[in-house]
Amino acid sequence: MFHWLEKNPFFFAVGIFVVIAYAGVITILPDFMNSARPVVGTKPYTVLQLAGRHVYIKDSCNACHSQLIRPFKSETDRYGMYSLSGEYAYDRPFLWGSKRTGPDLMRVGNYRTTDWHEHHMLDPASVVPGSIMPHYKHMFSNEADIETAYAEALTVKKVFNTPYDEAGMPKLGTFDESKKIVLAEAKAIVDDMKSPEVKEAFAKGKIKEIVAIIAYLNSLK
Amino acid sequence: MNWLNDNVNLLALIGAAAIIIISVVVVGKYIKQIKTDKSTGELADENWDGIGEYKNPLPIGWAISFLLSIAWALWYFLAGYPLNGYSQIGEYNEEVAAYNTKFESKWANPDEETLLGMGEGVFLVQCAPCHGITGDGINGKAADFTAWGTESALVETILKGSKGMNYPLGEMPAGLLDKDSAKAVAAYMVEKVTKTGTANPDLVSMGEALWATCTACHGADAKGMGGSAPDISAYGKPGFVVDVLNHGKKGFIGNMPSFNDGRLTDIQKLAVGKYVNSLTQ
Repeated sequence: MFHWLEKNPFFFAVGIFVVIAYAGVITILPDFMNSARPVVGTKPYTVLQLAGRHVYIKDSCNACHSQLIRPFKSETDRYGMYSLSGEYAYDRPFLWGSKRTGPDLMRVGNYRTTDWHEHHMLDPASVVPGSIMPHYKHMFSNEADIETAYAEALTVKKVFNTPYDEAGMPKLGTFDESKKIVLAEAKAIVDDMKSPEVKEAFAKGKIKEIVAIIAYLNSLK
Repeated sequence: MNWLNDNVNLLALIGAAAIIIISVVVVGKYIKQIKTDKSTGELADENWDGIGEYKNPLPIGWAISFLLSIAWALWYFLAGYPLNGYSQIGEYNEEVAAYNTKFESKWANPDEETLLGMGEGVFLVQCAPCHGITGDGINGKAADFTAWGTESALVETILKGSKGMNYPLGEMPAGLLDKDSAKAVAAYMVEKVTKTGTANPDLVSMGEALWATCTACHGADAKGMGGSAPDISAYGKPGFVVDVLNHGKKGFIGNMPSFNDGRLTDIQKLAVGKYVNSLTQ
């Protein structure tokens, strides 16, 4: 048989592939359907949270912060329950990150609050002595891009059947309906904030990036 | 030559010499063989672009280990791995369960010093990001523990009110008492109810007369009427900190998340309480 395989490199290659792929078959396939589904309770991002996610990506937060808690006691003690694959079902793209210059943010919504994020984004070293994180003052002056966020939500709803507008899931509706929801959501955050600049802009109906990113960070649970 | 007296050094030296001698002998043998050897033996049928192959039998030791490893691989593929049910999460669960058992037995009856040390450790990780590493609240960004839980802080609380711990009776309004009455009630409370001692003993009797203002919500025994309002008999003690840790607090300063999600064990919460109390000046 080995002699025959030596003379038929194609079938030899097929044989090697089968042997190596067997590991994947036995470890991945049995739980694949289960782990690919959203975990119960996982919801798609609301439009304001999506706008915040865009800020997160734009400012490259994922270069220094991971969003993946590994099943080690040292990690779960600090960051909370380890991550499950189904929790990323509505992340497009997922933001696992590959390096922790700063801490993991997978469940930051459980242990940090709006007012902390506000202090921290203005001047990280004021709340975390010795922090090397740069400050993100521009988030207090730049406006969040709600239109793009709505467009993304609508796209994933139509293309990937993301369950917006279903029972118990975030409501999307038309852009005008969505805008009202975004403003209501933003109001809850702005009320908890102290920055007069952000409050003033919000009174005029404008939502700053800081509001969107706090909405996103608070949603990470 | 002191270093030669060391066994490890001596062994390493002998090993190095042995490697050199064996290498020289083996290399010499094969160089000699390359020089004198003639290619003899039966050729295999196949011929790959002019390169042939002798029909050499496999050395018996190789053949046995080869066959054994194939047998082992088949067993491992079909039974060894799939049937032993290994999972990373499973290993994690075992590790955590073993750790928790060890933690509970080791710290079943911690002394005061151990609790303070444990509290400091937890505080620096979980609390310091908002309350500061010294617990001073970082210029008003969070509650200042150097003043928190004292008699004067209690007067402030009575004057300003308190909110955000999600008790059924809701918010405690500001201005229930004027400044002098608040001082008197605070003096009575820390002297007679929490028994931590007052700085104004002359006000105690006046405070006792006004104490009903508090008992309306917190109950006659100040324990909060079975969870309707905070148990203020624990004011200025570790139990009060534990209560805030369990409830979280969305107060006037800001929003503190609840730590009631299993991140801290009861003994750790108590330790944090002790440590926070130790910060009070």
